Amino acid sequence: MQKVIGESKKSFMTGNEAAAWACLAAGADIMFGYPITPQNEIMHYWTRMAPKYGKGFLQTEDELSAGFTVCGGVQSGKKAFTATAGPGNVLMQEPFGMAEAMRLPLLAIIQQRGGPSSGTVVYSQQEVALTTYGGNGEGHRIVYSTSTHQEIFDYIIKGFNSAWKYRFPVFILGDGYQAKMREPLEMYDPESRGIEMVKSYPLIGLGGKIGQDRGPSHLCNIYSLEEELYEVITKVQAEYEAIMPQITEYEEKQCDDADIILLTHGVVSRAADDAMKALRAQGIKAGYFRPITLRPFPQKELRAAIAKSGAKKMLIAESAIGQFDRLVKQEIYGETIKIENLFMPGVGIIESDLIDKVKSVL
Amino acid sequence: MAVPTIPQSWYLPSKPHKFCPGCGHGIVLKALGEVIDELEIQDQFIFGCDIGCSLLSWNFFACDSTQTHHGRTTPVMVGIKRSRPELICLGYMGDGGGYSIGSQHLLNSAVRNEKVTLILVNNTNYGMTGGQMAPTTLPGQKTETSPYGRDPLATGYPTMGPEFIAEVTPDSAYVARGTVSKYKQLKKYIRSAIRNQMEGNGFSFVEVLSTCPTNWRTNAHQTWNFLEDEMEKYFPVGELKTPFGKGER
Amino acid sequence: MEPFYTLRPIKNQLEKLNLNVIGYSREDSFGLGETGAMMNPRARWALRNEGDIILDIGYGVFGAQTLNLIEDIDQTPELKVIAVVNASRPMTNSLDRILEYVKGLGRVDAIVANTHMGDETTPEIITAGNTIIVEAARILQLPVIYAAIVEELKDQYVNNFDFPVKYIKRYMPSAMW
Repeated sequence: MQKVIGESKKSFMTGNEAAAWACLAAGADIMFGYPITPQNEIMHYWTRMAPKYGKGFLQTEDELSAGFTVCGGVQSGKKAFTATAGPGNVLMQEPFGMAEAMRLPLLAIIQQRGGPSSGTVVYSQQEVALTTYGGNGEGHRIVYSTSTHQEIFDYIIKGFNSAWKYRFPVFILGDGYQAKMREPLEMYDPESRGIEMVKSYPLIGLGGKIGQDRGPSHLCNIYSLEEELYEVITKVQAEYEAIMPQITEYEEKQCDDADIILLTHGVVSRAADDAMKALRAQGIKAGYFRPITLRPFPQKELRAAIAKSGAKKMLIAESAIGQFDRLVKQEIYGETIKIENLFMPGVGIIESDLIDKVKSVL
Repeated sequence: MAVPTIPQSWYLPSKPHKFCPGCGHGIVLKALGEVIDELEIQDQFIFGCDIGCSLLSWNFFACDSTQTHHGRTTPVMVGIKRSRPELICLGYMGDGGGYSIGSQHLLNSAVRNEKVTLILVNNTNYGMTGGQMAPTTLPGQKTETSPYGRDPLATGYPTMGPEFIAEVTPDSAYVARGTVSKYKQLKKYIRSAIRNQMEGNGFSFVEVLSTCPTNWRTNAHQTWNFLEDEMEKYFPVGELKTPFGKGER
Repeated sequence: MEPFYTLRPIKNQLEKLNLNVIGYSREDSFGLGETGAMMNPRARWALRNEGDIILDIGYGVFGAQTLNLIEDIDQTPELKVIAVVNASRPMTNSLDRILEYVKGLGRVDAIVANTHMGDETTPEIITAGNTIIVEAARILQLPVIYAAIVEELKDQYVNNFDFPVKYIKRYMPSAMW
């Protein structure tokens, strides 16, 4: 595979630029996209680099088209990807649904902005529900919620592999702050770290002579009978459950003995980590749990952390009103730990917000 | 010579407006404001705007207004008009909102001859989001998503909107292309477009060639040169279809 | 003075330091927050102001052509177009890339060596990066007028180049950029 980064080096850039480089390093072939703040720079960098590396690009007429052109691209066996946010994410649920149904390995970078509707162009964590369970399906998706530029780079590389190995659409869930902030990260070519990139393969356009070498490939996403659909979906669900242990990722700190567990995801986890350390320094036994994959959710691991900590309370903090909270509660149904909430829709959460809230509920 | 006055239909608290210096939107909205005054329709007038630079016009007029989603101004105006036919509905959008994400709505509303009026401001790029390529970007033109110049072999030729609208609409539609470099003509086209709706004839559409020095990175001279020498050469100015008889070309 | 947006979030803060900031504040830029290519009319006439004027031009495919937006920019003999180069950015992290980048900008009169890695900056990173910049400047026949380094590193950094160091205080972290 083409070496793009060369000697692994630490670099300073915005999250959007990191995303573009990561897709290049991961061996992506083509990007389809439509302008929407705050992810435009992913397209800007990709269009500049694409000709130098023989990559493709098309700015489509809208996000519906961007999503469906990506579906077409992956069906033909090329590593296609897109990026969007807000209302664009809403539109892309239709093509994402097709990807779920037809098991298409697409990768989409979502840079959350304020919602609903045009909201703000800035930041939020209000696309959790949409990205995990959007569309008219059952949420057979892989969603990585990143919190640093290094993770944006790492998980895009991992994301392409998860997509092409397991054939579920993969989402890199970032946000406007991650997109625009500048910080250092180490870029690398996957091979230099021993990461083997899963090869792509076509579902149509398979080569050979039809009738002689092979039969034609007929793909569909509609069925005649309810029972047929039932068979297909339960089979996909079973496959999804089977691979969950390989894909699920999370981060847990200081939950061995904690009176309160801080439960956050994405960029808010950075504040939660700082808050946990500050609280501990003040003698308050705070623990930290952060799902990195929102789908599949590290449900078993969270239950285990709650159990071993003996914590009486858990603080779920997010820049939305309960989207992450509902996801958690659905996954840990039956747990009796008291759940407190810090909901700040569309607004960044900083260390002091979490510290003040913890003190007010303990 | 009369001193230019601010149209009564302009909403004073939102002035001075926030459009960039050298932007054509101010000229188009001035013409529209004067037409609203002359036709005395301020109270029945509904103004819809899109996402993008047209967004800045959401509280521009002292008329009832609604900001919609990107590309969805046309269907929102259609919804209002079909529910309350006595209102005068005007959708205001850019080249993205009309020819890209909004193109399916534009096309279908035109085919159905919806009795709404649309003004589409064409400045050959997506201004507000930072200068990406638009359907109307000229061949060879540099934008943030065509950094090496638009290659027509890869992305086609600029959309000729009024031409295709004229093709798909019946004779009772009004279709024109104006330019901010010819104010009186532009105002006449806008007036005819709105009259077409008021008289219950049918669909009315005016594309306006406009300037965007901010994203073109041009000074005053270069801006007018690009508009008059390049854009007006590529996109012919004039009335393409009019139920009112031949207008000036 | 900015054509677009990076200064918007800290406009009020900078003004308290007696800087006249020509640009919109976030509250004024309806629906756009930090971004959005909206130019404040005062920016167009910025050169009519007395005193020193700093034009924050930023990135974009047009490079220094952005200066066209300032009235009378071509009649200002005092104008200096300075390319601020950070050798830790991927687009400018090698000699070839710096040469390509600076050549693509259009008019450039001088270079500021701005190699840094945000909070992870070390004197070694600065020296290594600026060495490449110096070589590029030599090929381009452009002077490197100074190196910009955060004041926190004042005691650690040893300047072995023949241009001065300007130690800077950072305000941008509160701008999220």
